[in-house]
Amino acid sequence: MKYETVIGLEVHVELATESKIFCSCSAHSYGSEPNEHVCPACCGMPGMLPVVNKRVVDFGMKAGMMLNCHINRVTTFDKKSYYYPDLPAAYQTTQWFAPVAVNGLVEIETSKGKKNVRIKQIHMEEDAGKLVHDIREDTTHVDFNRTSVPLIEIVSQPDLSSAEEVEVYLDRLKNLLRFAKVAECEMAHGTMRCDVNLSVRPEGSDKYGVRTEMKNMNSIEAIKRAIEYETARHIDAIENGTEVLVQETRRWDDIKGKSYAMRTKETAGDYRYFPDPNVMPVVIDDEWFDSIQDSLPEFPEVKRDRYINEYGLSEYDADQITKSIALCECFEEAYSVCKSAKDAANWIISEIMSILNKRMITYDMLKINAHALGELILLVSDGKVGRANAKKVLSDMFDDLTIDPLKYCEANGYIVSNDTGLVEKVVAEAIANDPKAVADYKGGKEKALMSIYGKCMKELKGNCDPQMLRTILIDAINKI
Amino acid sequence: MDKDTFRRLELLNQLKLTETEKADAFAFFGSREKERLALDKIDTSSVERMVHVMPIMTVVREDVAVQKFSREALQQGAPETDEGYWCVPRVVE
Repeated sequence: MKYETVIGLEVHVELATESKIFCSCSAHSYGSEPNEHVCPACCGMPGMLPVVNKRVVDFGMKAGMMLNCHINRVTTFDKKSYYYPDLPAAYQTTQWFAPVAVNGLVEIETSKGKKNVRIKQIHMEEDAGKLVHDIREDTTHVDFNRTSVPLIEIVSQPDLSSAEEVEVYLDRLKNLLRFAKVAECEMAHGTMRCDVNLSVRPEGSDKYGVRTEMKNMNSIEAIKRAIEYETARHIDAIENGTEVLVQETRRWDDIKGKSYAMRTKETAGDYRYFPDPNVMPVVIDDEWFDSIQDSLPEFPEVKRDRYINEYGLSEYDADQITKSIALCECFEEAYSVCKSAKDAANWIISEIMSILNKRMITYDMLKINAHALGELILLVSDGKVGRANAKKVLSDMFDDLTIDPLKYCEANGYIVSNDTGLVEKVVAEAIANDPKAVADYKGGKEKALMSIYGKCMKELKGNCDPQMLRTILIDAINKI
Repeated sequence: MDKDTFRRLELLNQLKLTETEKADAFAFFGSREKERLALDKIDTSSVERMVHVMPIMTVVREDVAVQKFSREALQQGAPETDEGYWCVPRVVE
């Protein structure tokens, strides 16, 4: 019998706010001492009242709009009973009855074609704290720095059916949310985490099989491996009766490549959701709604088409640049200075992406003075700086955002010399030192010319107009 | 409501009921269930949803990070702390 996998995802995304969702503590605790960014509210002390961070609602709405959701103009917070030391109030303030966004749609494209993934809802909620178990044997240590850091949870309908679709869907979510600048969405940093709900059923059936959930997955590769393992486990259980499938939460061990039962799956009743009496409804009036709608960015595919139609980029170049909003911004700023879309795209795709890859920096973490990049591209296209030296300058520009390319090239002797006398002297010496290459070129071997050309350019330290050097070199050889 | 669901609610709400109380409560919830089912049959699709009983809304604050409390002050009442952490009985084996 043929089976199909049915997958729904719950994706938690940490919002890029300065402060926490219900108090003014900093939301950025990376590298901080434990419990450095805490207050009585996020520590769950009695009597403390939450005050909603407006930007969290802004970002919740923006994420909803990016994912084609309906925005609930009156949205409410609820208490989810959850008793564990990482949640000091013994409940999580989240949204259950009226989440900020519902009924969305995300289009994905895989090797099998295009597909729509329905979004059930996006709700805003607070993160839990961090537990450390390996400091002492008898004790769990609790750090509340992360408690109340704002999250959105994006809940999809069970519309995904393979690891490939899940990967493409997550990439699409990341891309859209990063374009909207509501979140970093970096799984390696824990700013995007994913719960995978999976079941298996006979192909064509409209009934769902027994569903298991794997929580807190934080790597796309691990998610793909877990989906493949779980699918095989479910099919084996159905076909061979190797085990009885039960609805449960499982832990994925990526080193062993296996999933393990953690606990039977909770249902909504277990959490005893009820409206949070401490947070009144958030009412989104027309002015607020419109301001968010007006702030939406150009969607990646719209930008891609514009780059092709307006700037004349190839489909490949446009695809590469629209992988990241940071690359797009860099491209547009550099283009505004150098006025050559092709040159700006070439420098970003061939040089900047290469440096980012070597330094293991994701494209979205690109930090460069794009205006200065445009000036550097202009220096090269005007023949004032050789490409090899410009690449050195670009590399240095990653480490120093204040570099002025012209001044930097002047200070380092990278400005191309117009001294034809010097070039003729270098060419004469190179010809005299390599009579075989000269003879080979005269005999029809074009490559031999490049050999002498390369030696001349090296002697001139790259500071020579390539066309001028080539002309002088050919003239000199022809005179022999 | 079936008996399993009832037992589950009893456990979740940490109730300890006598057999008589259980029977009464079970009958009570059973009758409410009928009312709920009857209400569910009413078409409310054109009625605006009430999300709160009072016509009030929350205030919001601007996204500015301010640190007003020291860790030491907050941990004064803690039974045990260690290197800036709160300590609780171990929760994993």
